Amino acid sequence: MEDYPEELRTPPVSLACIVGCPELHQTISGFLHAEQPPINTLALPDFSKISLLARKQRDPLAPPQPAAGIFKRDWLLKHRTRVPAVAAALFRSDHVTGDPAQWLQVCTDLENLKSVLHGRNTRLVVVIVQTQVSDALSEDLMIALRKRAEIDAKHLIVFVQNDSSELRQSLNRLASLFSELCMTYYREEGRRIRIRVEKKTFTSTELNIRYCFKVAVYAEFRKDWAEALRYYEDGYRALREMTGTTTRLPPIQRLVEIKAVAEQLHFKISTLLLHGGKVVEAITWFHKHVTSYKQLVGVVEVAFLHWDWFSRQFLVFAELLETSSAAIPATLSHFGTSDNPLTEWEFQPAYYYQLAANYLREKRYSLDNLLSTSDLARKVAGVPESVIPALYLGQSARLFEEGDTVAVLPLSDAEYISYALAEAERYQDAYEIIALFRKAYESFNRRGAPRMACFCSSRMAKEYYAAEDYSNAKQLFESVAGLYRQEGWATVLWESLGYLRECSRKLGSAKEFVGYSLEMAALPILTDEGPEATESRRDYCPAGPATISRRVAIQEEVFALVTNAQTPEAEAGGESNLLLTKDLPLCLNIDLTSPLRIVLLASVAFHDQTVKPNSPTLITVSLLSQLALPVEIDLLEVQFNQPTCNFRIVDSQKDISTAAFILDDQDVRLETALLKLLPNKWLRLTYEIKSGQSGKLECSSIVAKIRKNLMISCQAESPATMEDLPMWKFEDRVESFPIKDRGLSFSGQKVIQVEEPEPQVDLILNSLGPALVGETFIVPVSIHSKGHEVHFGELKINLVDARGGLLMSPREAEPFDSHHVELVSISGTPEEEESQADIDNIRKIQHSFGVVSVPVLREGQSWSCNLEIKWHRPKSVMLYVSLGYSPSSDEATLQRINVHRSLQIEGKIPVIISHRFMAPFRREPLLLSKIKSLTISDQKESLAWNESSTLIVTARNSTEVPLRLTSMSIKLEGESDDKNFCSVHQIGGGISPENALLVPGEDFKGLFSVKPEIDCPKLGLGTVYVSWVRDSKRGENQHTIATRQRLPDINVEKPPLVVSMECPPHAILGIPFSFYVKIRNSTSLLQEIKYSLGDSQNFVLSGPHNHAAFVLPKTEHLISYKLVPLSSGPQQLPRITVASVRYSAALTLSVAAATVFVYPTEPKFGLEGSKSEVVV
Amino acid sequence: MIVCVAVVGNQNNPVYLQSFTEADDALKLHHIVHCSLDVIDERVNNPKRSGPTLNETFLGLLYPTENYKVYGYLTNTKVKFIMVTTDLDVKDADVRNFFRRFHAAYVDAVSNPFHVPGKKITSKSFAERVSVIVKSFGSTAA
Repeated sequence: MEDYPEELRTPPVSLACIVGCPELHQTISGFLHAEQPPINTLALPDFSKISLLARKQRDPLAPPQPAAGIFKRDWLLKHRTRVPAVAAALFRSDHVTGDPAQWLQVCTDLENLKSVLHGRNTRLVVVIVQTQVSDALSEDLMIALRKRAEIDAKHLIVFVQNDSSELRQSLNRLASLFSELCMTYYREEGRRIRIRVEKKTFTSTELNIRYCFKVAVYAEFRKDWAEALRYYEDGYRALREMTGTTTRLPPIQRLVEIKAVAEQLHFKISTLLLHGGKVVEAITWFHKHVTSYKQLVGVVEVAFLHWDWFSRQFLVFAELLETSSAAIPATLSHFGTSDNPLTEWEFQPAYYYQLAANYLREKRYSLDNLLSTSDLARKVAGVPESVIPALYLGQSARLFEEGDTVAVLPLSDAEYISYALAEAERYQDAYEIIALFRKAYESFNRRGAPRMACFCSSRMAKEYYAAEDYSNAKQLFESVAGLYRQEGWATVLWESLGYLRECSRKLGSAKEFVGYSLEMAALPILTDEGPEATESRRDYCPAGPATISRRVAIQEEVFALVTNAQTPEAEAGGESNLLLTKDLPLCLNIDLTSPLRIVLLASVAFHDQTVKPNSPTLITVSLLSQLALPVEIDLLEVQFNQPTCNFRIVDSQKDISTAAFILDDQDVRLETALLKLLPNKWLRLTYEIKSGQSGKLECSSIVAKIRKNLMISCQAESPATMEDLPMWKFEDRVESFPIKDRGLSFSGQKVIQVEEPEPQVDLILNSLGPALVGETFIVPVSIHSKGHEVHFGELKINLVDARGGLLMSPREAEPFDSHHVELVSISGTPEEEESQADIDNIRKIQHSFGVVSVPVLREGQSWSCNLEIKWHRPKSVMLYVSLGYSPSSDEATLQRINVHRSLQIEGKIPVIISHRFMAPFRREPLLLSKIKSLTISDQKESLAWNESSTLIVTARNSTEVPLRLTSMSIKLEGESDDKNFCSVHQIGGGISPENALLVPGEDFKGLFSVKPEIDCPKLGLGTVYVSWVRDSKRGENQHTIATRQRLPDINVEKPPLVVSMECPPHAILGIPFSFYVKIRNSTSLLQEIKYSLGDSQNFVLSGPHNHAAFVLPKTEHLISYKLVPLSSGPQQLPRITVASVRYSAALTLSVAAATVFVYPTEPKFGLEGSKSEVVV
Repeated sequence: MIVCVAVVGNQNNPVYLQSFTEADDALKLHHIVHCSLDVIDERVNNPKRSGPTLNETFLGLLYPTENYKVYGYLTNTKVKFIMVTTDLDVKDADVRNFFRRFHAAYVDAVSNPFHVPGKKITSKSFAERVSVIVKSFGSTAA
């Protein structure tokens, strides 16, 4: 579009001319230009310049010439710049009113102007320039001037210069007059010519078209778009009709002219339609334009001109579409159906850019064809010199100079062809085509049409390739190939790869050349249709059409290349082949995402998931190739992450000696097999493999060496995670599996776990039964080497609650150590004792975790240590001990072997301590709290103040081991102070060597006398300490362990009444004895007592059965009975019940307290007369 | 005249592509069919601008290219049928009819128990049936 002249591209603007008073020109022209609609100004500084406006003189008597063309090339420009619609003569008022000479000058100037404008319809305006309003001319002068100029009164206006508001007014006046006159002018001009069109008073079609064009242009001047459009279309139609009729010019040039005119008319129509927002109409019009001219190719020699022109139509329309703001109407829908035959893309400039590029390509092809065939013809004709564009649009002529005379001569068609060819040769179409495709590519990409963009991109790349810019071409083709690979379009991918292959050949990259070639040879192209049609060869890539025979040929070529043999095709390549050989041998790497997976796919599966070290397992290596021809692999190397496992397979049919040159490393295991890969058939190779190193054994890659110089390193894939081959997965073919075993081909892995070697070291944990709370429990750990030396040994100890709980108390406020079980220390064997200091450095012991290093042990040596664990709570604990060591001292092969042992240890309470209080025999203090709180069972033990009670502490061995007690004591809290409050003395149960041994389940009782000396509701009695040791034969060095238990607090109160009974311990049948009950009132109140005595058949008694008594404060009341026993043996005394009325409390003596033994006769031992009352 | 028919799978992979021209322009037709997938994508993604009803399978003219017109059809399983013709004046009804018959042939072909869905159609009888449909397209249009 940029090639079009300015006047064609922009809408026409009215033209006015001003003459004289040059100082005002800038103001006026500026103002007019800013008007709406704008008016262009042709400013002539003085009247001498008016000849510019003059018409060309035409001999009025000459006969009308037949039209020599359709449009004059400069007609539009003339009307835009040289033929004004209005001419204004500016005169200063003082010149008009001045002396006669000046007046005369004014008159002459006017006359001249009139004569210049004679024959045109240009309107004349006279402007009187006054410096101020007061300079007004007289009426007479005005009339005289008007008469001279032969104009209407309103065409004579006054322009006031110096007053700004007046100036503005004057300018407005001028502008409105101008615009009115312009309108009139263009309307009349238009009408004048329209009449000719309507009355058909023209002699030829050319004139008809010209008139239509003129009418339309005049209408455009008036902004009458509808009329302009109508006449442009009329002109266009008339032009189309004359295609076959006119004979004015030689046929080739005739067609060129018609197309040039059509182009201009079409451009105008499209612009008007698009600016009017009629996108659909514009596109429809464009289609009509294109279809009606597409076939007008003309003779073969100038076909390129046609395609050039045709391409330009698309380009210009694309640019118009891009620059016009008109969008696709929102109401438009149903693209591509009968309701709306247009499709989405036809609204996109990219579509037209792409077509423009296509036709430009067409032009290049026809040009190339022409240049290659008609070289001779052109030389004969010779290229005419100084060819210029002729007067008429679309015509060319030769400028002929001879001496001073310059003549313009018409060209013959032959000359024209030579000229056009010479011109066309000068252009670099390739870059133009690339630019167009790039525009289309970017636009399609933005619009989200990746495939179309891809297509443009591939066309671009082809142009680069044609222009021998191989690196650009390669880059573009690579991006294109990516999409085709992804969607599996083999045929189009073939094309891109064919170009890529050639690009890499040209760029001398052997690796890429081989890669692309192999990929091509492995593409799923299975047809072999027809012979190659050479005619459409240009549509194919350099590798030819996608057929199976081409695949074969390409593979053969590559394989010949890597064996350094020459194929006929490669020889044709000539010097480029030399480039290829220099970086041989080639190594192609195929990873999981490589498109070359179709060339060679390696699937590796171990038959097992885990294996013992040094024991054999099976591995299957399966290879698949989709190449067109069978591939013979010379050597296959299977590589693992443990290089010692690598092995090689040599083709059994090949002589090993010929392959020996690659066997640089003699240590590698060598296998032989038939290594022939048939297309689409798995080659399965199963081998036994051993690994001595524990850990992961993974097959990393399979390297195939083919012929002398090709090496394909293929990343191994597990069958379980292997993806389908990208291009082949859509092919309808029999599915085969990499491994015969169906299960393995779904779940096989290229990784196997090699287990650790069997440890040849014993780790022994001993335990002496359950652990007892409080003691330092010792677990001996011993390490005995049976076959391995122990280097860098490390023993890790871990304590875990067997029930999964924490070994730590969550409560921080725990009175003593918050750990229930803790690892106290690890002690070495006695002989290691001296090096204790440095062992301690390595030792790390936490409460439940410990690490200790083990010294170097030779085979057969052993080492032991003791773990000291202390239980604070009875808990079951898992002890985990693991020994990590390496069997050799070589740090480089630091392979660690771990031995794990665990042991569950119960933590038990050694002794259960219980206690109980006993009141003195036959003496019962009344404790009020006992009466009151019958309901609360867990009430504190109550003791009477200042009364001695007996405390029995029982220690029971609750373990399964015998214990030996060493002491039992009660320690008061608060030391000496508490002595005043309570006195506790041991009164029995002393420990002697005989009773110290406590077998499991046995009790030991200690007796203590307790006498509270203070009346206190909460009195601490102290803590029981039971010291013990395990009763073991060898346990001399054992420490005694104290188990302690705090006695609960007791309630001490003053008893208001104390009842004691006195009775002899034994009686003799028939001999009376006395029985007293003493009631002591320790209150200061009078206490009423009721008592009763039941009958007994064993005794005869004297005294009241029921009675009441009053006990005076602080005194003692005595009730006495006399009894005679009637039968012998232990006998129940008659039941006596004492009740206190005040406290509603009754006392019945216990059975034990009320039992007396009756002898039948006087016993013979001399222990008589002892009192039955037990006094504490 | 129909120059090419194609079945494109739901991963935009070619399932069946057959050209019916004497000239050796198979490659060009491959490109045309591949590019037309963009239009199908666009039509499918902007349903309000595409066919009159939601269930319309016929997509209409996809785009005119230099010498060809490309028509599209989308089945419920997102398999695309693409037809390339050189006829400039094609009746909508003819194209619809063509696609309907083509669809029936396709359904029969993929109903073959030996056909694996998504793979290329290599059935000879399908190819024969398609060529019959293609040939009859010209005769009904005339």
